[in-house]
Amino acid sequence: MPLDTSTYNLALLRVDGRRWNELRRLHGQIRTQAAADGSSYLEMGNTKVMCIVTGPSEDKRKTGGGSTSSASVASAPNAADVSVGVVVAGFSSVDRKKRSRSDKRIQELQATISKALAGSLHTHLFPRSTISISLNVLSQDGSLLAALINAAALALVDAGIPMTDYLVACTAGSTSSYAANDDAADPLLDLNTQEETELPGLTVATVGATDKIAVLVCESRVQVGRLEGMMAVAADGCKQVREILDEVVRQQGARMIKEGTVAKSENVGGMDLD
Amino acid sequence: MTSLKRSFETDPLSSNISSKVYVRSTKRGKVQKIVREVYLRQDIPCSSQICSICRSTAPSNAAGVVSPFVLSDKPAGTKAFPQGHYLVPDTNALLNAMDLFEQTSAFYDVIILQTVLEELRNRSLPLYNRLIGLTKSEDKRFYVFFNEFRLETYVAREQDESINDRNDRAVRRAVQWYNEHLAQTKSKQRPTVVMLTDDRSNLEKAKAEKVPASTLRNYVSGLEEADRLLDMIAESQERGVSRDKKAVDFLYPEYYSMSKMMTGIKNGMLHQGIFNVSPYNYLEGSIKVPAFPKALLVLGRDNINRAVDGDVVVVEVLPKDRWKEPSTKIIEEEAVTKNENADGDEGEDLVTEKEKRALQEEVKKTHSTSTEGHPQPTAKVVGIIKRNWRQYVGHVDQSSVSQPAKQGRKQETVFLIPMDKKVPKIRIRTRQVGELLGKRILVTIDSWDRESRYPIGHFVRSLGELESKAAETEALLLEYDVQYRPFPKTVLDCLPREGHDWKVPPSTADPGWKDREDLRGLLICSIDPVGCQDIDDALHARALPNGNFEVGVHIADVSHFVKPSNAMDTEASIRGTTVYLVDKRIDMLPMLLGTDLCSLKPYVERYAFSVIWEVNEAADIVNVRFTKSVIKSREAFSYEQAQLRIDDASQQDDLTKGMRTLLMLSKKLKQKRMDAGALSLSSPEVKVQMESETSDPIDVKTKELLDTNSLVEEFMLLANISVAGKIYEAFPQTAILRRHGAPPKTNFDELSNQLKVKRGLELRVDSSRALADSLDECVDPHDPFFNTLIRVMATRCMMSAEYFCAGTQAYPEFRHYGLASEIYTHFTSPIRRYADLVAHRQLAAAIDYEPMHPAVRSRGRLEAVCKNINVRHRNAQLAGRASIAYYVGQALKGRVAEEEGFVMKIFSNGFVVLVPRFGIESLIRLRDLAEPEPESTFDAENYTLKTSGSREVTVELFQKVVVRISDAKDEATGKRGAKMELVRTV
Repeated sequence: MPLDTSTYNLALLRVDGRRWNELRRLHGQIRTQAAADGSSYLEMGNTKVMCIVTGPSEDKRKTGGGSTSSASVASAPNAADVSVGVVVAGFSSVDRKKRSRSDKRIQELQATISKALAGSLHTHLFPRSTISISLNVLSQDGSLLAALINAAALALVDAGIPMTDYLVACTAGSTSSYAANDDAADPLLDLNTQEETELPGLTVATVGATDKIAVLVCESRVQVGRLEGMMAVAADGCKQVREILDEVVRQQGARMIKEGTVAKSENVGGMDLD
Repeated sequence: MTSLKRSFETDPLSSNISSKVYVRSTKRGKVQKIVREVYLRQDIPCSSQICSICRSTAPSNAAGVVSPFVLSDKPAGTKAFPQGHYLVPDTNALLNAMDLFEQTSAFYDVIILQTVLEELRNRSLPLYNRLIGLTKSEDKRFYVFFNEFRLETYVAREQDESINDRNDRAVRRAVQWYNEHLAQTKSKQRPTVVMLTDDRSNLEKAKAEKVPASTLRNYVSGLEEADRLLDMIAESQERGVSRDKKAVDFLYPEYYSMSKMMTGIKNGMLHQGIFNVSPYNYLEGSIKVPAFPKALLVLGRDNINRAVDGDVVVVEVLPKDRWKEPSTKIIEEEAVTKNENADGDEGEDLVTEKEKRALQEEVKKTHSTSTEGHPQPTAKVVGIIKRNWRQYVGHVDQSSVSQPAKQGRKQETVFLIPMDKKVPKIRIRTRQVGELLGKRILVTIDSWDRESRYPIGHFVRSLGELESKAAETEALLLEYDVQYRPFPKTVLDCLPREGHDWKVPPSTADPGWKDREDLRGLLICSIDPVGCQDIDDALHARALPNGNFEVGVHIADVSHFVKPSNAMDTEASIRGTTVYLVDKRIDMLPMLLGTDLCSLKPYVERYAFSVIWEVNEAADIVNVRFTKSVIKSREAFSYEQAQLRIDDASQQDDLTKGMRTLLMLSKKLKQKRMDAGALSLSSPEVKVQMESETSDPIDVKTKELLDTNSLVEEFMLLANISVAGKIYEAFPQTAILRRHGAPPKTNFDELSNQLKVKRGLELRVDSSRALADSLDECVDPHDPFFNTLIRVMATRCMMSAEYFCAGTQAYPEFRHYGLASEIYTHFTSPIRRYADLVAHRQLAAAIDYEPMHPAVRSRGRLEAVCKNINVRHRNAQLAGRASIAYYVGQALKGRVAEEEGFVMKIFSNGFVVLVPRFGIESLIRLRDLAEPEPESTFDAENYTLKTSGSREVTVELFQKVVVRISDAKDEATGKRGAKMELVRTV
């Protein structure tokens, strides 16, 4: 069995050979499902998720007894609902485990994503309609919430829904556990499963490359003194994620122009698509 | 439709990413396949100070600090590597010879590969931790090179390659890379990087690949002090080479496989427990298993099957016809196996003729004594779950050494006789027999194979001459696992910078004064034994206008100086307690704190944690409060001085009056406690008087108990009980408490039967109250000591008290049986006990003085702390007693004394006598009575031993005897101790 996270201080290397401020390999694809309004596929290390966006489509007003399959946020009466459904595949973790959609953790994930996206999307442009986002988790290796948010952001770009900026997310941790109370602990960027289980960590989502924080989730105990360093590292990671996602979108755009799917019009003329 | 599939080749990063796949099984036996990413990189430095290439890419942590390069630019050279060398040990080298790597004379500049570290962690966690300790030591220059993360040294497992072969290849690859890498530096003197391995095929492959490699043995032979170091290489590995061709007869039955044992335990056919060896008979062990109320016996070498005292073993119950009574005979290994040859093993039976005879006699006895003692279930060891081998102190058996070896340098196999009689002899091979004879030495056990009658070990180091004070003290500390090394620098760094000049800040606006009550005006004094330097507690009492009394117990505020989770706190939590030996004290906290800054010395201001009660005339508590405070002790009394002052009617000052009040109240408190059923137990305590200059022991005195002893004790108990209630109320899950379980009734079976048979007395054990009362009735009008003797024996039937975390037990289980208190903790000695320090922190949080530190709040952590301090506490007691025993022996040196003693235990071939005057007990065997050994008849039912023939005496249990005590060196253990001879019975 490999070493655990306590060996970080021996050579400043993490369990998978990264330094404290390095992301895992981040790979994104856009328009993976041609028939959908918007779709994406995202890998952060071995965490793999898929996202399909349907809509904005006409609202089917629910007649009481709302379903539990997805969380939706109606921000204002004249704005679109953002409804998020997360499905975790039984084969996605080490132990095969079927998670029902009514699982509390999954519901929480859905609600968090839904609220965060509703804030960055221009939902007021689509009154009485629903933007439905379905996320599928194919493989889990830590930073699940961050990966889901990033995948959703890509798919929403693909669907062409107006937004202020990409919502990008990333996790951060700290090299020593809460109880060890080591003041000199380094912050860590982008946790994998092992680090997530052994060390304190948090998830941060920012709006684009700004420092505006849209999501902050911390489920482990950590000294307040360490929090600032972890947040700074996470925000910095978000900027890196934003650049990578942006590159994915630009490449897709360039490909579409090349294929003639869209004309290189005046509207996008300001952007350098090569 | 776009395909999600993409080829990894197009990814520019693909060459840098690999994955690690392994399979592990969970506790429940489920198999999991784990896939991990591995990022390969080129900026992992070689960490050699001669290398300039790696400097530029050296990593830094989040604070921007670059880790310094570890490996020296001028490493030591040997004959084989005159240019200097760095060592790269493989896993087996570390497994077999960790002691070597910890030497200070050699083994510097060592590169530990990640591959090796991982493998070592799988094989042995303790060794892994020792290695991590080494890498942290600055002067040893150990560097961990993460070869699995460096692109050039990463090795992928090939088709059909075993994991061990892959790891060996990874080690060779890393060594090769290191040599190539260092070749690029311009340095003239370029050290060789040498692989250390004992694997023959690995060596051959290394040769073929031109990787410098050496066996451990060859390498060590090239060093200075080779002889000493060679002994430290574990025995087992070489035997593998020399023995594998011989067909060997197995002496011991094979162990069951792990899965067979697990299934057996699960379905109740096998039982797991800790193996204990009887202190009187090395061939008899017992094991307590949850399934049965009484311990199972394990008799004879065959059934003990290589288990050593303390191992966690699995046993199988033997058929009923093989059940037996516990032995009534003393069997000492030394006497039975005296003349065995350490070298030869082959051709001998497992059980020697003599051992067989000893066993036969016992069987005969069991059959002839018809009854009463029913045969007890016996069991045999079928497997070992966990070895609890530690390092053992002992001395080389003179008789196992051949004459020429005493001068020569020939390698010789000798027996080591451990000090602990419960541990079998250990075979070690050494080239320095001549030097080791007559020394106390430290060894470890490496293995115990089926074909070897005794375990095989290797020499670690020599402590010094037998019977020299230094060696014996160190031996004692090692045997009881007392941490006696000086405090490391990191710990000393946590002390206040002002050192001895630290003072309570004069201004009450200082942050140190925050929430502290100013109690400097109170007339506080401390009462301790003579010469006590670490004064934990001080007291005061004064009359209140309403007729009640205010009583205060003030405890040194150690938690002000020792902050949770810093290096000093960690060290203290490991040490657990201060250990008091006759001539030495091994502190839990550094001297500066223990004897000065925390110690409540007289005439100076000190921080304290105070418990203040208002009590009425009848010593009932009206109210209690807790506060941090500043006090100024008026006087530090010894128990005698305090007693004199109280008794001296001419002293009418307020301080003395306060002390009289305390004494009056303490007597009432004690009476209340006794009424509630508190036990007054006893253990023979003596004090060794030393000559002041040479500190040679000159006399032994039994401890006197004055009223003032009990004064202090009562108030400490009261404080502990009050604090326990408070912290339990505030933290019902995590409060640290102390409990003393009620002893199971069966513990007293033997004693009450003995009393009934011999004296017609009845021992009632239904409750502590009943026990206390019936103990009071156990008196012999002719002999005042008889009562004490019974108390001593009753004490040994008790459970030991233990620390625990409140959440782990139900409230009724909190009870302290001996003190008859519902709840109890330790609060009053934070300088010398870690539990008290934790209680201080919890109390401080409970009164909102400071927020609760996470370390004091985490239950898992507290449980670990409790477990450790329980062990440490016990060891400290044992070490203290052993130290007294040693000094009593020294004090008796060259003297012969006739003293009264009492028979405590009786066997068919000897009996144990307790001499209260010296607090010692010793065994008198029949063969000590007269030469030749007298015939004897043993009446087990009446506890009587009659001898006839060469000497005629009748010895009964509880009988008073007169013994002649002289000092003698026990050849078996090398200890000097009292030897008793029976003069006459009374």
